[in-house]
This record gives sequence, C-alpha cells and structure tokens, in this order.
Amino acid sequence: MSVFGLHPALTAEERIEKRRLILRDFIALFTVFALTIVLGVLTYFLFASFSRHRDVLARRWRANGERELNSGHPKEAIEALHAALEYAPGQRSIEVELAMALAADNRNLEATAYFNSLLETQPGNGLIHLQLARLAAKQGEAALAEDHYQSALDGTWEGNGYLKRLSVRLELAGYLISRRNYARAQTELRTAAGNAPNDPETQLKIADLMVQAQDPADALDIYRALMKGKSAPLQAFEGAGRTAYSLGRISVAHEALERAVNHPGFAAQNEATRQAVKQMLENSARILELYPGPDLRVRARAERIANNVRIARARMASCFANANAGGEMADLQGQWQQIPVNLSVRTLERNPELEQTTMSLVYDTEEQTAQVCGAPTGDDALLLKIAQAPLAVQQ
Amino acid sequence: MIGRKIRSLFGNGDSPQISAVDISKIAPTRDERLFLILSIFIGVISGLLVVCFRVTIEWIKILTLGSAPHAGQYRLLLAPALAGLVVAALVQWFFPAARGSGVNQTKAALYIYNGYISFRTVIGKFITAGLALGAGHSLGPEDPSLQIGAGVASIIARKLGLSKQKLRVFAPIGAAAGLAAAFNAPISAILFVIEEVIGQWSAAVLGSIVLAAISSVVVERRFLGSEPMFRIPAVTLRDNRELFAYAILGVIGGLLAFVFSQALGYLRPRLRALPRWTHYCQPAVAGMLVGAIGFIGFPQVMGPGYEVMDQAMHGQFAWKFLLALALLKLLATTLSFSSGTPGGMFAPTLFIGAMLGAGVGSFEKLFFPHLTGTVGSYALVGMGVLFAGFLRAPLTSVFMVLELSGNYSIILPVILANTIAYLLSRILQPVPIFEVFTHQDGLDLPSVEEQREETPLHIEDALQPLSVPVVQGRDTIAEVSATLAEAKASAFLVQMADGSWYAMTVDELTGAGAALTPDTPVERAAKADRVPALFPDLSLDNALPFFPRWPLLPVLNRASRGTLEGIITLNGVLKRYQAV
Repeated sequence: MSVFGLHPALTAEERIEKRRLILRDFIALFTVFALTIVLGVLTYFLFASFSRHRDVLARRWRANGERELNSGHPKEAIEALHAALEYAPGQRSIEVELAMALAADNRNLEATAYFNSLLETQPGNGLIHLQLARLAAKQGEAALAEDHYQSALDGTWEGNGYLKRLSVRLELAGYLISRRNYARAQTELRTAAGNAPNDPETQLKIADLMVQAQDPADALDIYRALMKGKSAPLQAFEGAGRTAYSLGRISVAHEALERAVNHPGFAAQNEATRQAVKQMLENSARILELYPGPDLRVRARAERIANNVRIARARMASCFANANAGGEMADLQGQWQQIPVNLSVRTLERNPELEQTTMSLVYDTEEQTAQVCGAPTGDDALLLKIAQAPLAVQQ
Repeated sequence: MIGRKIRSLFGNGDSPQISAVDISKIAPTRDERLFLILSIFIGVISGLLVVCFRVTIEWIKILTLGSAPHAGQYRLLLAPALAGLVVAALVQWFFPAARGSGVNQTKAALYIYNGYISFRTVIGKFITAGLALGAGHSLGPEDPSLQIGAGVASIIARKLGLSKQKLRVFAPIGAAAGLAAAFNAPISAILFVIEEVIGQWSAAVLGSIVLAAISSVVVERRFLGSEPMFRIPAVTLRDNRELFAYAILGVIGGLLAFVFSQALGYLRPRLRALPRWTHYCQPAVAGMLVGAIGFIGFPQVMGPGYEVMDQAMHGQFAWKFLLALALLKLLATTLSFSSGTPGGMFAPTLFIGAMLGAGVGSFEKLFFPHLTGTVGSYALVGMGVLFAGFLRAPLTSVFMVLELSGNYSIILPVILANTIAYLLSRILQPVPIFEVFTHQDGLDLPSVEEQREETPLHIEDALQPLSVPVVQGRDTIAEVSATLAEAKASAFLVQMADGSWYAMTVDELTGAGAALTPDTPVERAAKADRVPALFPDLSLDNALPFFPRWPLLPVLNRASRGTLEGIITLNGVLKRYQAV
C-alpha cells in the first residue's frame, strides 16, 4: 500500500504515472525543505547581525543618557535613555535611570507614573520606593514621602543593602529636618548611628545631621569618638569644637578647636571657615580665662570673680542708663547696690557664699541686659555664654 | 541551471503537468496528506519571512530616521517623504497589487482569484511596506505579514499542483501563519483569519491553520523571543466599580473607532479619484505630513509604534499627552493609508487603543486613585476596544487581549468594553471598514458582518404536521395498500424494524407490489437506502439535497428518534424560502 492510498483498479500506465507523481512530490517537498533551510540560515545571520547592532546602540545610548544625567542635562538624558530602552526593552536599570531623568527634568507626574509602574512589577524594590519618596517630597506630599522612605528602608536592595538602607535613613533624616520634625529625625539618626560602619565620612555625616536635628550632645559624642582616631579628619575637630561650644562645653571646644587649627588640612579650608574657627578658639580661650572654675586656686578664682563683677557692673551701668531699661532692671539694680563697689579679692576669698552670689548676679546681669539692651560684645558676650551653662564649661 | 531543474520538477506552476482528474484517480488522498505537511512548511517559511520583514523595517528605520529619532530633526520630514516617492513609484510601476493593507487582497484572492497571490505581490509587499514603515509612515506590519504569508502559501500550493479547492484554502492558512508570527499570538491570528478572511468556521482548514500558525510562531519566537509583543504589567481588576470606568472606555473607544472609520472612508476615495499623476506623490505628501507631526514634537506616531505602546502600558506618559498621541496617530494613519502607501491597520489600531486606554486609565488614576487598577490594564483593554470597534472583530479582540496579557482576570473588563465599543460602532457605522474599502475598490466580498445580520432558516421553519400515513416495516403490502386507499395519500412513511425511516410513493409501492405477493412485508418493497435523520434545529439548506430522491422527509425528535415532529416537502421548503 502506497502512501497515497490503495487504488485497486490502476492500469500499468497509471501505476507508472503514480510513481512519477510520488517522486515529483518527494522532490518538491525536499526542495521546499531545502529552501526553508536556506531561508532559515539567511534569517539567522540577518537577525544575529541586527541583534548585535541593537546591543551596540543600547549601550551607546545608555552611556549618553548617563553622561547627560550626570552633567545636569535631564532632557537630553531622557531622549538618550528612551532610545536605549528601545534597543534593550525591559532593562530595569535603564528604566530606573529614565525615571530618574524624568524626575530631574521636573516631569514629576511622568516620573511618578513611571516609578509606580516599575513598582507594580517589583513591589518591594527599595530603590524605586526611594525615588518615589524623593518625588513625593518634591511635590510636598510629606506623608506619602515618609511612607515611601519607610518602604525603601524595609524594601529589597541590590548589592550592599546595609549601606544603601543607611543612606536612605540619612536622607529620610535630612527630609525630616527640613520638615522640622526633629524628634523623628533624632530617632532615625540614633538608629543610623547605632548601625553605621566606622568610616569617618559616614560618622561625620550622621553627626552633622544630628546637629541640624538639634541633637548636639549626640553629635558631640560622635565627633569626639572620631577625634580619637589616628588620622582623625579636620571636620571632626571643627564639628566637635562648634558643637561643644554651642553646648557651653568650652573646655572641650577649646581643645578640639586648637587641634583643628593645628590640623594639616586647616590651611586648605576657605578663609571664612578658618576665621570662624579661629574666632571660636579665641573666644573659648578667653572664656576659660574668665571662668572661675572650681579647680582654680582660691586666689585666682577670687580674682576672676572680681574681674567678672567689674565687667558686669559696667554693663549694668551702661544698660541702666538707657531710659527705657530702668523699670525693667530696677530689681537687678537693687541687687547690685548690695554689692560693695570696691569689693576686694580678699573679701571674696574669705567668703565662698559671696563668690557664688556675685557670680550669680553677674550671670543674671548678662542675661537680662542681653534681653533689654541687645546682644553684648566682648567679655560681656563671653560671660553671657558662660551664664547659659556655667557648669558645662569645664565638663 | 538549478532553477530550470526545479521548474521542470515542479512543472510550470500554474498548469500542473498531471491533471487533477488523473491525480484524483491514481492518488485520491494525496492533497489531504500534502495539505497538512505543507501547512507546517508554510508556517515555518512565513515565520522566517516575518522575522526578516521585522528586521528589515528596523534596519530601514535606523538608516532613515536614525537610532533615536526626536522632534526637531529634519530627517523626520525628509525620510518619509522620500520613501513615499520611492514606494509610490514601485507600486505604480512594478507592484500594483502591493497597495493597501493586505487583508482585503488576501480575501479577494480567496474568493475571486482561486487563492492566487503572485510572487511579485509577495516581494512587492515586503519591499514597499518595509520601506514605508521603516521610514516612518504611520502603518503597521501585521496586515502585510498576513498577505506575505498568504502569498507564500499560494506559491507553494501552486508549485505542487494541488487541486483548485485546496489552492483556494491555502491562502488563509498562510495568512494565519503570517499574522500569528507578526502578532506573536497564534490564537488571535487563527480567530482573525476565520472571522475576517474565511468568514466561516471550516473544519477542513482549521487543523491546517492551527498547524501553520503554531509553526510560524515557534519560528518567530526562536528569533524574537517568547515574550509577548509588549511587556505586560500587572493586570488587575481591583474593584468591581472599576467596570464603570471600563464601560466609559468602551464608549469612548466606540466613538473614536467611528471617527477613524469616517476619516478613512472619506479621504481614501477622494485621494484615489485624483488624477493619476498625483498617485506618484500622494505617499510622499502623506509621509511629509506624518513627519511634520513627528517634527513638531510627536515622533511617537511614526512607524508601527510598538515601543510607544509598551511605554504607555507602563504609565510612562501623562494622560493629556496620551490623548494627543491617540488623535495624532488617527490623523497620521488616515493620511498614510489613504495615500495608498502599503501598510497595515492593525498596529495603528492597537496604538490608538493603547493610548486611549492608557489616557483614560491615567486620568482616572489621577482623579480617582482609590478606584483604578493599573494603567497597563486600561491600555490593554483599550487595544481590544479599538480592535472590536474599528476592525469589527469582536471575538479576536477579546482573545487578543487575553493572549497578550496572559491573564484571565481581565476578561470581564475586556468583554464589557469591547462589546460596548463594538455595538456602538455598529450602530454608528453599519458597514465595517474593510468592507468599505472593498466597496471603494469595486469589489464585493462576503463579510462576517453580513453573516451576523443574516437569520438563517431552519427545518422547523418549513415543518408541516404529519399528514401522510405512517406504517410499520412489517405491515404487509395489502394492509398498506388499504391504508393508502383510505387516506388517499400519494406517499407515506415506513418505520423500519431498526428504527430507521423510509419515505415511499404509491407508485413505488405499486411497482414493487407487482413482483411481490400481497402478504409480503412492506419493508421488502423498500430499497436499501433510508431517509436522512433530520431535526427541527438543523439548517433548512441541509434538507434540499435529499428531495430529488425522496418525496418527503420526516423530521425527528432529538430526544426520541422514534417520535416524528412532522414532515417537510420540497414544495413547502421552496415556499418558505420565497417567503423570506
């Protein structure tokens, strides 16, 4: 039985014809097969060549896009990254870069839509949440921004997730500071400080943010820890000096500022910064000269108090002369009248209670005159600084 | 030399050396067996050609528009205009049959030219459509792929000297293969070819169509990857209230499909009616206008625009921009297609639908964020909406979305929106766009839409009460004769012992009775054949072929084949047809 089915009534001629037909069909099918193979090979080479060209174009446009984005040309970056995506469709890293370029170009709606769609395929992606948080922050949607920041912290990250989460936390802290939500910012920064690696750059960043979040005490701890390192950075000394000075811990501030000024990198600082540091150092030195600390010898302490009394009395007299200030400062004036004008060092030496009373009067005077007559200058300003936290000066 | 040998082996192609009569005698099942084998070859070759076609379009695009076309580039104006000039010259001088989308041409090949599509048409379509699409004309590659596939099938079938009937059905098989490869969606391609090209479900070709479509998709995926044409985002129906939003999308889609149809129906015949010399420059002018749209800031409308659909699906555009793209694409496609530039309508339809859907989705996401699902869902449904409303292929539109998304959770919105768009479009414009084109071209091809409008007659429509005697096969001729004499009937029904029926005339009984004794059972007077089993729900057409043999036909009950529902007669059937 042939492949074409049995037909019993075939003549000899028909059988020959049938064999010819079978042969012809076989050859025809073989030819079609051969043509298919040839077409397949041609298609393969054509497609392979095209694919290579696409890869080259994708890489080239991506590089262009990244370069434009880094040089602050988001419009050009968008076009380049769009082109890159056309030749490498679905490549997530390019998509994220494109969305970032859109955001950088202030096409916030498009960027948000783009990131949201990326998020739909990768719901827990930390990087996308971070970008959405930035966009929400840019658009003033604080609650949404904080939610996305939190999701970014909880989300998944490619590469070193530990460091990336830390970076997000610091960014969140910065955002909270900008929103004046200091309490939550301090919490985030303390968490960050607890988990941060020991590299000075990160520690400095955390400390700086702590200062901005109105947590100078914790910031000072970090600065001081950094100062203990072998090659402690200049910023640590400056930060410690500034923070300690702001906290009234003048002794610490003086030591830190002195080391800052002697740091090899100090000369490379800009003039304004150098001047500010030097001024603070001078002030702290002078405060330490004015401060009647408990560790001083009795004589020296009495001398400083006597000097401070003289300074404060002059300030009082000057301020009291102001007609408007009279009523407000009558009580203080009364207290000064009880202090002898020619109060001697010896009297003070003999009477520790008097020392305490007069120094309290000095501090009160500097504080009240500052309120009534404006910010003091010179030693008055430094006494006022001491007055704000007298016990901290030598801590 | 080799070519001559192949020609001698194949014969001259159009007139096979062995006649159809000879083949039917010496190898009666040859065509059926070749049919299935060739379906696979057609699928593979179509798939390869479609891959080449797609790569060609991309290469031409890079060469003419650059690797990253953007607004403000003068090449956006020049490339489509120059390509238009070349394409027009090629179409006018060498490839006149390459004009148009390819769907109607394939249909015409099927119904008018016995499945004949010339090799020149295939080559012409490949070159002209590739050039036009690559240079930025706002058309798509699917319909040309469909025609290329159909052409491949037609050429192979001719070369193998298949019978005329087989030759005719080969074109749709190739069409399905070409479309499946272009779409990367075999089910949609099969359905579209059945819905729009063949116009009816035919078991004879279904197997071959499926084989060809699958073969071509396998080949296409080998090269272009198994991923769908678009990266499908998460597709969800978050809240049933969202169906209302999809219904709105269906309404807007139906209206836009109407506008699109009207624009094409208006402009195309007017441009064709212009003097012949203008046909050489119409594609160039259309190309320049499309390029101008790109030049002023919307290069996305140029070319098929798959990557733009993909971006829209992923929510990468704002809603205003999306709606602008939808309207500008409509304009650009109307210009490109009406100018006679070869290229398809599928991609532009999907593009407009995707932009519209994504636009509606983005708008709702912006203003009703708690109600809406993903923008991608809306874009996908939007594609189906325009497909149903504009191309009038509702079944294909639903399956296309499901096949593209690979997600059945979207089926409710798809069916709802597509049905609304389809019905609205049918009300606003009763004649579908492909039929409008065929009428404009002076052709009259059958359409599924017409068939949908038809109300076919069933046997029950011509059913008459049982008015003739019914006897049992074991009854004697004498008894039966007495019964007939009493009833004065000219014919009667005999129920045989095995439950089958026989319709006999009095003359037949008389003739048989002359050779038999009166006490012979009447079943021995009957011939060997039996009346067909007919039921009230069958098409009345089914009954007609049996009347030359039988004086009347019994209609049986499907639940109880021994029970008669009534009878039908030739006279009654003809009267019923005349009453329509």
